[in-house]
Amino acid sequence: MDLTLDLSRFIRRAYPDKEGSTELTKRRIYILPTRYGFLFGALLGAMLLGSINSANNLGFMLTFLLAGLGTVSIIHTWHNLLGLHLQPGQVNPVFAGQEAHFSIHVENQRNAPRPGIVLEAEGKLMSGLDLDSQESGVLSLRLPTSERGIFKPGRFTVSTCYPLGLLRAWSYIELDLSCLVYPEPGSITQSLNPPSYTPSATGDRGVGTDDFAGLRQFRQGDSPRHIDWKAAARGQGLKTKLFGGDRADQHWLDWDAIPGFDTEERLRRLCRAVLTASEAQQEYGLRLPGTLINPARGTSHRHQCLAALALFELGPPE
Amino acid sequence: MNTIPHRSIPSQILFAHILLLSAAVAPHYQHLSLWLVGFYFVLALVRLVIADRVDKLPGRVLLLLLSMCGLAFVALFQSNPISKETAIGLLLVVLGLKLMELRYRRDIYITVLISFFIIITQFLYNQSMLLASFMLLVTLGLIVVLVEVNYIQPPKRFVLPLRKTLILIGQALPIMIVLFILFPRLSGPLWNLGLDNRNAITGFSDTISPGSVSHLSQSKAVAFRVDFNDPIPPPEKRYWRGLVLWDTDGYSWTTGNAIYSQSETYKAHGKPVHYEVTLEPNQQKWLFSLDLPGGSIPNTLVLPDFQIKTKEPINRRFQYQQLSYIDYSSSNLSDAKHQQGLNLPDNITPRMRQLVDEWLASSASNHEVVNAALRHFNQEEFIYTLSPPLLGNNPADAFLFETRRGFCEHFATSFTLLMRIAGIPARVVAGYQGGEINPHGGYLIVRQSDAHAWSEVWLENRGWVRIDPTAAVAPERIERSIDLDDWAEGAPIRFQNLDPGLLKNLIRQLGFGVDFINARWHRWVLGYTNKRQSEMLSMFGLDFLKGKKLGIAMVALAALVVLIITIGILRSNRISTDPILKIYLKFCTKLAKQKLPRFSNEGPNDYAQRVIKQRPDLADPVTKITRLYIGLRYGQVCSAEARVFFNRLVARFSP
Repeated sequence: MDLTLDLSRFIRRAYPDKEGSTELTKRRIYILPTRYGFLFGALLGAMLLGSINSANNLGFMLTFLLAGLGTVSIIHTWHNLLGLHLQPGQVNPVFAGQEAHFSIHVENQRNAPRPGIVLEAEGKLMSGLDLDSQESGVLSLRLPTSERGIFKPGRFTVSTCYPLGLLRAWSYIELDLSCLVYPEPGSITQSLNPPSYTPSATGDRGVGTDDFAGLRQFRQGDSPRHIDWKAAARGQGLKTKLFGGDRADQHWLDWDAIPGFDTEERLRRLCRAVLTASEAQQEYGLRLPGTLINPARGTSHRHQCLAALALFELGPPE
Repeated sequence: MNTIPHRSIPSQILFAHILLLSAAVAPHYQHLSLWLVGFYFVLALVRLVIADRVDKLPGRVLLLLLSMCGLAFVALFQSNPISKETAIGLLLVVLGLKLMELRYRRDIYITVLISFFIIITQFLYNQSMLLASFMLLVTLGLIVVLVEVNYIQPPKRFVLPLRKTLILIGQALPIMIVLFILFPRLSGPLWNLGLDNRNAITGFSDTISPGSVSHLSQSKAVAFRVDFNDPIPPPEKRYWRGLVLWDTDGYSWTTGNAIYSQSETYKAHGKPVHYEVTLEPNQQKWLFSLDLPGGSIPNTLVLPDFQIKTKEPINRRFQYQQLSYIDYSSSNLSDAKHQQGLNLPDNITPRMRQLVDEWLASSASNHEVVNAALRHFNQEEFIYTLSPPLLGNNPADAFLFETRRGFCEHFATSFTLLMRIAGIPARVVAGYQGGEINPHGGYLIVRQSDAHAWSEVWLENRGWVRIDPTAAVAPERIERSIDLDDWAEGAPIRFQNLDPGLLKNLIRQLGFGVDFINARWHRWVLGYTNKRQSEMLSMFGLDFLKGKKLGIAMVALAALVVLIITIGILRSNRISTDPILKIYLKFCTKLAKQKLPRFSNEGPNDYAQRVIKQRPDLADPVTKITRLYIGLRYGQVCSAEARVFFNRLVARFSP
């Protein structure tokens, strides 16, 4: 039986609402003096003693003015976080070993600036920003990843010491953040790259790579390499060059093609193969136990394959 | 992890910061060894030159050497090791050394905190309003720096941290005022460190010798101020009694060993004058009151000859209430006192005796002798001057027969001697005479230049009678103050013209205004003691607040102020509704009155469709408004005309 008291259970955190955003409300904000705040307090004590002893009214005034400033800054520091809206931003998948980069949208709906907003995680300063009145900004959270799958950063902290740095107000945030982590690309495996040609009577309808076959209007997702930049420079708009041949360059990246490795190593090698194939503009498909992705091309296909590798035997993405 | 680490300081901020710190230190040049102040300023200058090239800052070894150098300076150049100057010197050294470590923004905090402490030490020496305002500005600047440091990026506009600082100080002020008024004041210090060194502040010493009063008289410094509760007596009645000098060695006069067998008494004629004196610190032990004092002041002793002595030297501003009888006749004189009033020094010359003998021969009474003496001063070539020639070991003789140029103490002391030779008991009284009325405050300012000395002689049936021989020479002195502004070395004294030039009058008026503010400052800020505090509380019927209760009341009231400020802050910038949304909500309200309210789960498009289905006649405006609203609120449209148009559409919309 675990007898250690898990104090974190008692921490009030800011959880996201249905739309995934969260607001820092009164009860979620903690506040304590910083070490400069404690030093400031000690200084005030010394100043007060000195003023009493010398019955120095100007000394009293300065001491009380600073005491007033310290007191008022408690409210201001707390208020600097109060009502701040946070919303998770888009997260791009990364390869294991790379840093996952989460961007958190911070919205200041108040008609007053909120400088000095800081994001901390794992005891380290991640990023900070100054928000003008009714301004939004992005705080970034970069965390290292080590394993493929879905990476959830867990609790992080948004804090501020503004305006005087004597106090620090903070709030524990648990946003629904997740990042898809692809397997780390392994070494190149020859057995995964035997090109298998599927003859086609109609050729590959201009999606091959060998011979120039004509131009068509640019569509979203076309590789920038195939854009006819010269035509674009002439002012004829964006045109995509079509290449064709009578043979499609088609791969099957097959789990069974690389026996003799453990699961993770196989996934790493398949990951590398996917990258190699997509870089070579080849058409490739992926065959995993229980998953079959038909040969295709393009970034979304690449993502589909890498995601399948990332989540292999881990269950579907949430 | 509490603050944002390792961020460099922008060079402008660094410059401003060091300037502010130096401003906090600067006035100490008057109080500390110049080596220590110099030590700080050299380091500050070095730090300014280094600016943002933090790699040029001294390393550990050099820093250690500098620290030792600073400590050595404190040890060598601060004569008294257990004095507040030593402590302040150490603070300066530490601040200078901290500047050598000022690399990142977080390093600014410690220097700001040290400089707050240095600022408070300034008030140990000088509590003038000028210094206080200057230090308030420095504090404000330091707060601006603190606010600036707490930005992540340097703020786009400099006014932002300044504005925040002003808000903070504005909210801190009421808290400060509550604490200042209600914080329980003690009547004495918690402990005496014995650190106070006596500053040389002008005032009467307990000895009067030729030249001592005239020296004092050249200072325009305020000796004390008087608030009268009754009409202010005319100038010739304003004799402020301080010291009574009985004994002389022929050169200087002292109060002498008191033979206070019996207290002098007097019969008062007329009503007393009530007033309150605010005495500037003078490191002496006596108070001044109008002739003759009738009241008692707590913690003071009234001597039989109406000198008022305090137990401790007056080293901070001191206020006391007093009442005086301006018209009086004193009655008794003991034999011992009578004898003391006739004691003569050894250096009485024959020509002095000869002069007195002439008067005695031609006079029938002591009173006539006095008049003969006054006539002598008046008719012979005596000159009243602030810079009399130096006199030898027998100043009275030299003054009477050779130089004949003197200030009030020459006249008073030689007159007193002559009276004693004539067998009339006489004594010298020193104090102030006259004073200026400040028209703005209706109070009297008595300056060191009003210092004066006169005589008192004992006449049978009349008692002690004040005789001012100066008045015989220069009667204007009694009516008006000496005009120091036009006074040149060695020149005869000129008195303030009753009708001065326009410019001069203006300057005088301005001076009165400044003095009025200063007097209020002294009275309400610096002079706010436990006595005034209890007076103030009883004024509001709060006398029961004493000691612990007062502390509780202070905390409670301060908490209330903080609560009000908090509510104010929370109310000030509530989340403001988007103006576009406001207009749209107006449109929704209009429809709701037609029993077509918008449901909470309904988007603007769905709502519009439902409305049009029920009221096809509104199809055109509803579609337009909804489309514009979506465009304005969610992005595609953002011109000012579109907003105005949208507003107009909704305003005209009448379902």
